[in-house]
Amino acid sequence: MTALLRYQCALLLRSHRWLPPLLLYVAFLGIGVRPSEPVLGSLGFAAAALLPTAAWLVRVCVTQEPDAARQCAAAAAAPWRVHLASLLTALLASATPAVIATAVVTAVSDPYTAGRRAEVALGPAAVQGVVAALICVLLGTAGGALCNRPVLRGTAWTVPATVLVSFPLLFLPGSPARAAVTGLSEGSRTGAVVVPWPGLAGAAVLATCAWAGACALSARR
Amino acid sequence: MRLEGVGHRYRPGGPWVLRDIGLEISAGRLTRVVGGNGSGKSTLLRLLAGIERPARGRVVGRPRTAYVPERFPPALPFTAAGYLTHMGRVHGLRRAAAEKAAHAWLERFGAGRHARTPLSELSKGSCQKVAVAQGLMAAPDLLVLDEAWTGLDPDARAGLDRAVLDRVAAGGAVVFVDHDPRRLAEHTGTAHRLAAGRLTPTPPPACSASVLVEAEAPDGTPLPAGLPPVTAVPDQETRPGTVCLAVAADASDALLRALLSAPQPWHIRAVTPIAPGKETGR
Repeated sequence: MTALLRYQCALLLRSHRWLPPLLLYVAFLGIGVRPSEPVLGSLGFAAAALLPTAAWLVRVCVTQEPDAARQCAAAAAAPWRVHLASLLTALLASATPAVIATAVVTAVSDPYTAGRRAEVALGPAAVQGVVAALICVLLGTAGGALCNRPVLRGTAWTVPATVLVSFPLLFLPGSPARAAVTGLSEGSRTGAVVVPWPGLAGAAVLATCAWAGACALSARR
Repeated sequence: MRLEGVGHRYRPGGPWVLRDIGLEISAGRLTRVVGGNGSGKSTLLRLLAGIERPARGRVVGRPRTAYVPERFPPALPFTAAGYLTHMGRVHGLRRAAAEKAAHAWLERFGAGRHARTPLSELSKGSCQKVAVAQGLMAAPDLLVLDEAWTGLDPDARAGLDRAVLDRVAAGGAVVFVDHDPRRLAEHTGTAHRLAAGRLTPTPPPACSASVLVEAEAPDGTPLPAGLPPVTAVPDQETRPGTVCLAVAADASDALLRALLSAPQPWHIRAVTPIAPGKETGR
């Protein structure tokens, strides 16, 4: 598994296919995050924008290998392991910007609530921000796993599905991502820092189920 | 390992590509699968290699496996040695062993000087050498070759023949498909024919074809009637009006007589015995 993960990560890094989704994410941040705005609100924006980024990175990772090369790896290591390694690569590729963006946003933002009514402790705020970002990353990879091969096939379906899946994951009631982002924007009004640990657990369960489903199908077609 | 009652189709409700296949693959044996285009040979090989799971039936006891496809795409951002080192590790080798095997196998197929060349700059044949090296480098217990010889130069083809025989001699199982009926004919232990999705045992080609007759006539001349059983051998270098026919040794005289005494006589260019384990050259 380590060898597969190393192979998939090298493939992603050397192919530079991570650039488009990450540049889009940076552009999102450039538009939505202003220095000296309330820290929690900016962290909420940074987290939400990661969800479509993670879904796109999953698409990049599960399609980056030509069929013949994937078949060689699948014969050597079992198709589900090959697929799991691609999903883990996408998780790493989106968790890294999640941590960096949280740190940068925390550093440049204003440590106050909206309207400067109360001060916000930066340490706990950063923890809440990074947990919310990881929730969005997990749900993004779950959505990406279900909207690409081997679950869905054909560019005409997978590309729109990968883009559109972000909306229900971010906005449907009951979504841990929605709860985490709402928690940050509410915190930005009230000054209450609440780390969404239950949301993280929920997102991990959802992602595990989606990944398991995709890996189980990886030898089917 | 064996396949039990295996059937396969690519989508529910779609046509069955393979039906009710039972197949035993023994260690230390060279197994050949023959069949026409689209008969499901490649699908069967992918099921054997564990790349796809059969829609019906089961595959039992697959050992450590490697697979070599017919065409290997250069669209990977690695050098030849870099890709092979990664794959060696995926096959379970340690880093140093993987690096050593990568260079050794590239050298063995005459591609040693391409070790540091990016795959995207390699020719089709050199890329295929990388794919073949990938399959052999970790000495797999089951080696599945889907027309792996295609695109290789004669030296590399002979090298792959030798490597396959080494693998079999070392107790590995090798299953292969190739368009050349002479391929490893003398060494093929078992052969199976795929037709209409079903697999039937067939005598290994070695039993029926052991002399190769190359004959020439003006383009469009039909083969005379009453030939003994022959296999027309596709040959990349065949000129128009030339045919290569493989025939059993004891029927070769009858074949020559029929060709020479035809109403429009054929000119015999070459008669070559098919030597064990060798490419039949002219």
